[in-house]
Amino acid sequence: MTEQAKTKQETPPAQAASHKKETAEERTVKGSEALMLALIEEGVDTIFGYPGGAIMPIYDALYDYRDKLHHTLVRHEQGATHAAEGYAQMAKKPGVCFATSGPGATNLVTGIADAMLDSVPIVCITGQVHEKLLGTDAFQETDVMSLAMPITKWCYQIADADEIPLIIAKAFYIARSGRPGPVLIDITKNAQQAMMNKPFRYEKRRQIKGYKPACTPREKDIIKAAALINEAQKPFIFVGHGILLSEAQEELLKFVEKTDIPVASTLLGLSAFPSDHPLYVGMLGMHGNYAPNILTNQADVIIAVGMRFDDRVTGNLDRYAKQAKIIHIDIDHAEIGKNVHPEVGIIADAREALLALTPQVKKNNHSDWKKEFDELYEQEYAQVISQDFDSTGGHIKMGTVMKMLSEKTQGQAVIVSDVGQHQMSSARYSKFKQTDSWLTSGGLGTMGYALPAAFGAKVGAPQREVVAVIGDGCFQMTIQELGTIAQSGLAVKIIVMNNNFLGMVRQWQQLFFDTRYSFVALQNPDFITIAKGFGIPGHKCESFEALDASLDTLLHTEGSYLLEVAVEKEGNIFPMIPSGMGVDQIRLS
Amino acid sequence: MKRRYTIIVFTENNFGLLNRITIVFSRRRINIESLTVSETERKGISRFTIVIEYEEANIKKLIQQIRKIIGVLVVFHNEDDEVFYGQIAYYKVETKNLEAREKVMEVAYRHQAKVAYSGEDYVVIEKTGKEDEISTMLHLLEPHHLLEFVKSGRIAVVRDQARFGKYAQNLGPEGWYSDEEFHELRLHQTYINGNN
Repeated sequence: MTEQAKTKQETPPAQAASHKKETAEERTVKGSEALMLALIEEGVDTIFGYPGGAIMPIYDALYDYRDKLHHTLVRHEQGATHAAEGYAQMAKKPGVCFATSGPGATNLVTGIADAMLDSVPIVCITGQVHEKLLGTDAFQETDVMSLAMPITKWCYQIADADEIPLIIAKAFYIARSGRPGPVLIDITKNAQQAMMNKPFRYEKRRQIKGYKPACTPREKDIIKAAALINEAQKPFIFVGHGILLSEAQEELLKFVEKTDIPVASTLLGLSAFPSDHPLYVGMLGMHGNYAPNILTNQADVIIAVGMRFDDRVTGNLDRYAKQAKIIHIDIDHAEIGKNVHPEVGIIADAREALLALTPQVKKNNHSDWKKEFDELYEQEYAQVISQDFDSTGGHIKMGTVMKMLSEKTQGQAVIVSDVGQHQMSSARYSKFKQTDSWLTSGGLGTMGYALPAAFGAKVGAPQREVVAVIGDGCFQMTIQELGTIAQSGLAVKIIVMNNNFLGMVRQWQQLFFDTRYSFVALQNPDFITIAKGFGIPGHKCESFEALDASLDTLLHTEGSYLLEVAVEKEGNIFPMIPSGMGVDQIRLS
Repeated sequence: MKRRYTIIVFTENNFGLLNRITIVFSRRRINIESLTVSETERKGISRFTIVIEYEEANIKKLIQQIRKIIGVLVVFHNEDDEVFYGQIAYYKVETKNLEAREKVMEVAYRHQAKVAYSGEDYVVIEKTGKEDEISTMLHLLEPHHLLEFVKSGRIAVVRDQARFGKYAQNLGPEGWYSDEEFHELRLHQTYINGNN
């Protein structure tokens, strides 16, 4: 109350401001300009978008700020969302998209849903029709709020220019804090056009009532977890996307090296832990490595950090790690106990949790346990990996391409993978020596993700080599973004693994539907000619003998390049946990 | 095993929150038996009372999903014996003659309902109580030619004050302000402090 009483005696802020000399930040501006100022305050310098009727006042304001806010014109709004995702993950700050009302906004939906499932911070700004026209089925009017609600972390419609600074601050805070996610802000045309009633002022948000993201772990949970870890004979660490989001790579390494516990990664956790580390045992899940899947059902303590026990990781839950005591660390309280019941649930930022945990655990040696992984790896190597690396029989195998690419880039490149067989090959055979080197669409499995995401990644980390690995099906879903890449002048390396099939669906049809190939064959266009039409050079590699030189051309050509590789038509991805089976029922063939 | 739960949710009074909360249920194909929303004694804070039947094993997960929504302040679930609850119902009954009117009045009197309106053609009886009391009275009045009937959703208060108090604490000392008001107040204070 004292604060309030004090406030009343002072001059009201609006009046006080008018006495002061007007600075750039304190001008009274239009809603559209307020948005530009707010974005700059949030540290935004990159926008991916597509203009249209209802967002034109914003694009007009952007014209004056184009030196500070670099806008990339994509070719389809879905491309903007994936580019923003790629950007956000490499630049470590929220990606920003602009789109117009109606079809512009509906085209964002896939990318927003993708960002939601993969916890990627993006802020989408959509134009909306004039407030007076809302609900009248006006031209390009869609109820974007209702569309966005189930697929955003938060969404809001602004119909009053005065709200813009406050809501944008809230949007960025929500997108990047806690478990990150997509936020959509819909701004009516009148709010864009109207003058604000007060001078523009901005304050970054640090808290919101009704939203308390977890941060530090509770001490009693840490003590309980440490006791379990110290007692464990066969402990096992699972790492997920949370490690990358909380930038806990170093803390993870310290924790792992002190405890000497084997580490497996989820699909989205790849590159969080160096894949050449002696304690790294591979990837979990349906097409993960053999040893980590089998031994999940033999571990006595599982320490899961920043992962969510997705059904593609666990297989049949009734057969999943029943013998193990699970320590689950996640920033999202709703994930603890959602799929598996943990012995200890730690609701905290992964980095904070590891920082608290490491001093409490004993230095240990688990080399006998680690040997079990090595033995199973040898089995996998003999039956699967060695064959995937052998393309001498006339067909190029995806595994061979990825192995060679990984060697040529020395595990330093950012691999952006699309969805399907080539995704699993890339995940299995890329070696990561540097962190933040792997982007893919995991939760939603969005075909067409990789090309725009790779572009966004290159914008976010121009100093890194970015290689998009794409299937022939996926490529045709967002192929138009070749235009965006060409116009930007940035160097994105593109590998299209062409088997003239929707490979993963074909594999399932072969294995589980009696080889009844139902609409999976593709008659493809000449991808190289298409790329050339966009101004991107490329060539097709059709033999194993030419592969080495082809990859060199891809990597050494200045600027963007498309390498199409004709891969084995009916190759299958193994190991595989058939749908509905347990992790220990993983098949090698 | 399925049980009946009364879920109480305190939220910011934000546009769209009702939608977000019902999505949690509809997405999981849970049928909402009743839903009541109103502003609390605190300005800008709404109280939801939601009644569902749901698997005992999964109710906590569902509650976490509601808690996760931005703008939700507090959420907790109760079984029927953990709350005082009730609803309100109106019965509009035709009364052609004095005899019929007296019979209806008698039913109302015996069931501690009150007569909200009494006119020439019909009476309106107002009854508060639990679901079974409301439906018992409906059965009794049906033979008298019911013209219109409506009942509200359930509202409930928590029996265990120690437990409720723990939740209510989470509304925080700033609970008297809605989120936007609170932020504006802080901006105001920062401004003043900044000038000092």
